[in-house]
Order: sequence, then C-alpha cells, then structure tokens
Amino acid sequence: MARDVLTESRSPVVHGRPPRWQRGWYVPYLFLAPALFFYCGFLVYPMLSSLWISFFDWDGLSADMTFVGLDNYIKLFLYDEVARRAFLNNVIWTIASLIVPTGVGLGFALALNRRTPGTTAFRAIVYSPAVLPLVAVGLIWSWMYNPQFGAVNVVLKAIGLGALARGWLSDFDTALAATFITGVWAGAGLFMVLYLAGLQSINREYYEAARIDGASAFQIFRHVTLPGLSETHVIVLSLAVIQAFKVFDLIYVMTYGGPGQTTQVLGTWMYFQSFQYYHAGYGAAIAWVIAAIVLAIAVPYIRRMSRS
Amino acid sequence: MQPVALNPGRRRAEQTLLFGCLVVLSLIWLMPFITVFLSAIRSQGDLISNGVFTIPKTFQWGNFWKAWNTGDFPIYFRNSLILIAVKVPLGIIIASLAAYPLAKMRFRLSLPIFVFFLAGLAIPVQVTLQPLLVMMKQIGISNSLAALIPPYIAFGLPFQIFVMRGFFRLIPSELLEASRMDGASEFTTFWRIMLPLSLPALATLAIIDVLATWNEFLIALVLISTNEARTVPLGLLQFQGEHASNYVLLMAGIIISIVPVIAIFLFLQRYFISGLTSGAVKG
Repeated sequence: MARDVLTESRSPVVHGRPPRWQRGWYVPYLFLAPALFFYCGFLVYPMLSSLWISFFDWDGLSADMTFVGLDNYIKLFLYDEVARRAFLNNVIWTIASLIVPTGVGLGFALALNRRTPGTTAFRAIVYSPAVLPLVAVGLIWSWMYNPQFGAVNVVLKAIGLGALARGWLSDFDTALAATFITGVWAGAGLFMVLYLAGLQSINREYYEAARIDGASAFQIFRHVTLPGLSETHVIVLSLAVIQAFKVFDLIYVMTYGGPGQTTQVLGTWMYFQSFQYYHAGYGAAIAWVIAAIVLAIAVPYIRRMSRS
Repeated sequence: MQPVALNPGRRRAEQTLLFGCLVVLSLIWLMPFITVFLSAIRSQGDLISNGVFTIPKTFQWGNFWKAWNTGDFPIYFRNSLILIAVKVPLGIIIASLAAYPLAKMRFRLSLPIFVFFLAGLAIPVQVTLQPLLVMMKQIGISNSLAALIPPYIAFGLPFQIFVMRGFFRLIPSELLEASRMDGASEFTTFWRIMLPLSLPALATLAIIDVLATWNEFLIALVLISTNEARTVPLGLLQFQGEHASNYVLLMAGIIISIVPVIAIFLFLQRYFISGLTSGAVKG
C-alpha cells in the first residue's frame, strides 16, 4: 500500500520509515482535502446549484420557487430579443478577439524579440495596461472617448478629421467597437508575453538554416516562425475565446449595456436579469449557456494543459 | 530576424527605424495614461476652458489628496489590503498542498482530479453568483470581506495548482526519497523540502494573485453592497458615480486606485512575466 504513494519506490533499504498512519492510501487525499473543500464548496456546488435554479421561476430572494422546466431556456433561445443581441455581440467580440488583440500581441512580440536598447522598457509599456483593474481601464477609456475633452476626438479634430468626432460610447454604431478597442489595449500585453515565450522556444538553428538557403524574411516568418508557434497559437486563441465569452467588467463600466441594449453581452445580460430585475431563474439559465459554451471551447486547451 | 548578409550601415538604419516606430507606438499606447495624468493635475476650470492637452495653468496636486479623502479611499484600500493579506497566502498554501500529491505521489485518481481542477479555468464566474449570494446570506457573512475569501480561493486554485504541480515535478524525487528514508512524514517533506525549493514559483504566484485580488470586480459587485466593505474597484466605481462631472477629481481617483498595481508591476515585473508564460493565465 505504502509503495503506491511513492513516486519511485525502488529502495529496499529501509531505515526509519514514517509511522504507519502516514503511509496509507489516503495520504494524497489529506493533502488535497482543503483544495477540494474550497473548489467543490464554492465553485462546483454553486455551479450545479445554478443549473437547478435555472429550471425555476424565482426572484432570488423569496422562498417560493415555481418549477418551470425548460421555459427559461426556451425563452432565452426563442423569445428574448436582447439575449439574441447579446449572443451575437459575444460572437462578434470573439471573432474580433481571435484577430485583433492576438495579432497586435504577435506583432509586438516579433518587434521586441531581440536584444536592442529599450526592449525591456517597450515590453513593460505594452504589458502595463494588463495589470490594471478593468474598472479603472473602463473609466480611463470612457474619458478617452469623452465627446468634448476626450483624446480621441481632440486628435481627430487636430488632424482635420473633426467630422468623425462623436460620442463614441453613446453612438449606437460605435459603442461596441469602442469598448472592444479598450479590451485590445488591456489584453494585447498578455498575448505578447505568451508569444515572446513561444518565439524564444524556437530553435535558432532553423533560422540559420533558412538564411543559408536564401529564404526571404517573409518566407522565414511563414515557414519557420509561424509553424514554430503552433503550440502557442493553441493557448493564445483558446484564451482569447474563453475571455471573449466571459467579458463583463468593461461593458458594465463603460456602456452599462447601452445605448439601447446594443452592447449587451451574455455576461452583462445575466447580471442585469439576476441582480437588477430579480429574474434569478432566467439569469441562471443565461449563466449556464455561457458556461456550456466556454467549457466546450476550452476542451482542447484543458486537454493540452493536462498533458504538460 | 534580419538576414545576416546585410552590410552594417543598412542594418543600423533598419534598427533605428524600428526603434523610432516603437517609440511612436509606445507613446500611442501610453496615451490613456498621459491623458488621465494631464487631466488630474489641473483645476476643473482650467480643464473646461483649455482642454486636456495644454500645459496646466497651475499644478493642482491637491486633487489627489482631495480625492483620497472625499472618496472614502482609505476604507477601500484597507479592505483590499486585508483581503490580499488573508486570501493570497491562504490560497497559495492550499494550492501547494494540493499540487504536491498531484506532482509527486502515485495514486489512481491523480490525473482525473488534476483535470477536474483544470476545468475550473473555463468556468465563468457568472454561473456561481446567485448561489454564492444565497450561501453567504445563510452563513451570515454577506456584505463582509469574509464572503469574498472562499470564492476567491476557489477560483484561484485551478491556475495555481497547475503552476505549482508543474514546478514540483521539476524537483528531483531523490530529495523526497531521502527525506522519507529519514522517517520524515509526508507533510514534513512537503513543508521542509518542497516549499523552500519552490520559493521562486511561490513568489511569482503571490504577485499574480495580489494583482488579481486587487482587480477582481464581479464577485465583489454581487456579494458586497455596503460602503464599509467595498474593495477598490467597487469603491472607484462608486466614486465615479458621485463625481461623474468633476473630471479632475475623478481622474485623480483613478490614478490613486492604479498606483499600487503599477508600482508592483514596475518593481517586480521580472518575477511575474516568467510566471505568466509558465502556462496559461488567470481566468
């Protein structure tokens, strides 16, 4: 029994050994117990409890819950215009997240993957927004987008594009894009760091060989760098999608879902339903749809991480 | 990644060009910080008549002091610091305890349990909020910092267990064998050998966790509704609600709330950038 517990049980020589009760099959579980307690008690259990709640009509406060079966889900998929809009916004946000912040991160990583003066400072500058609370990021960019004083409009006017100036966050057409750009500013730094790590793990000799064969800079990028980053792409793109479906803070702070619900995403719509309108059952159903989508997308990512 | 065969002159020109581009890009990237700073150090009247991008008539450093006091920031800072002081060490010890058997012991459920924890990386906070709120009310700790600690620990565990397990696996098993031979219990081995050898990983995780705890918003938004228990992000939003049109004060408040994370980042960045790349990242 005790041997199962040891990673390498090859020593026949036994001096003193731990007392018997410390060698049983349960030893690993004693170590795992606190983590399992918190994880199951405050993440897994609430999650399952949400699933239960999603089958009820409930205000989240009172004692009477009415069982309604799948009604909340039916409403969500068939009758709720805002939820449809929110889902569409999540999809738009996700597709854009796969391209923009990841591309910006890769671009910075390629430019900063060398030993030239200032590289460390540049990396720090690009990464710095990623350490801020998203509430602060949202407020900072709300100020950038301020119709009168914001830097965006001031710059546009200064370069003669004053006609484009507008209230970026109150305009139906630009609110979502403006919020998304804020997310790029806050998120690209992480992707840069991940890509830098990926670039540094590519064998130098491949570059040497490509150069000796007379490959152009673009050919080297296409046939050495990109394939060398395939592992990193999996992580970066998975993270981008997972984050895109979880998005909440920026939209809550910058637009509150408006104007006219045009920037609602599932994350904010769930919050408003559960905690502003007291439709706890319906909110739980939205939450479970988010969770199901994210978990499904995350399968390859989790599989990859469990192998490492 | 320039071709080697280029002559040095052209190469230097390219380097200079790249450097110039990076300087310009950095300035654009820093624009939001610059805007906020230039707004926070002038008077409201100056801002309204002259805009943000002028030299302030007078430097109103007093804005920061005023924001700090009128905005209840002492309460918010105290709360966030207490939360960090309790949550970060507790969470990391719990994660390390769990990572030890997952890395160094052989038992049947090792891999399933590890995957079970990893799945938490993909669980959106939203799906736990309503039950957490009910639970905290039942325990009687809703609206207090104590309500935040258990869910923060739970949501921190997947990433932390992943990193610690990875680090523990790099520690040679011979060291553990030797300790076990000497009759040390598993816990002593863990405490006396594994943890001291893992200080770099522990430090990195601690820094990342301090930032994540300082920044967390949604769980706190749902579980906390009294001013006395607000953390910094909630307090900042509250401050914004009360002073939405007093731009200079609001900008000073924003700077106050980000100074601690910026300072941690500037002084300790080499620790946590290595940590971020060691796998994936906080959800």
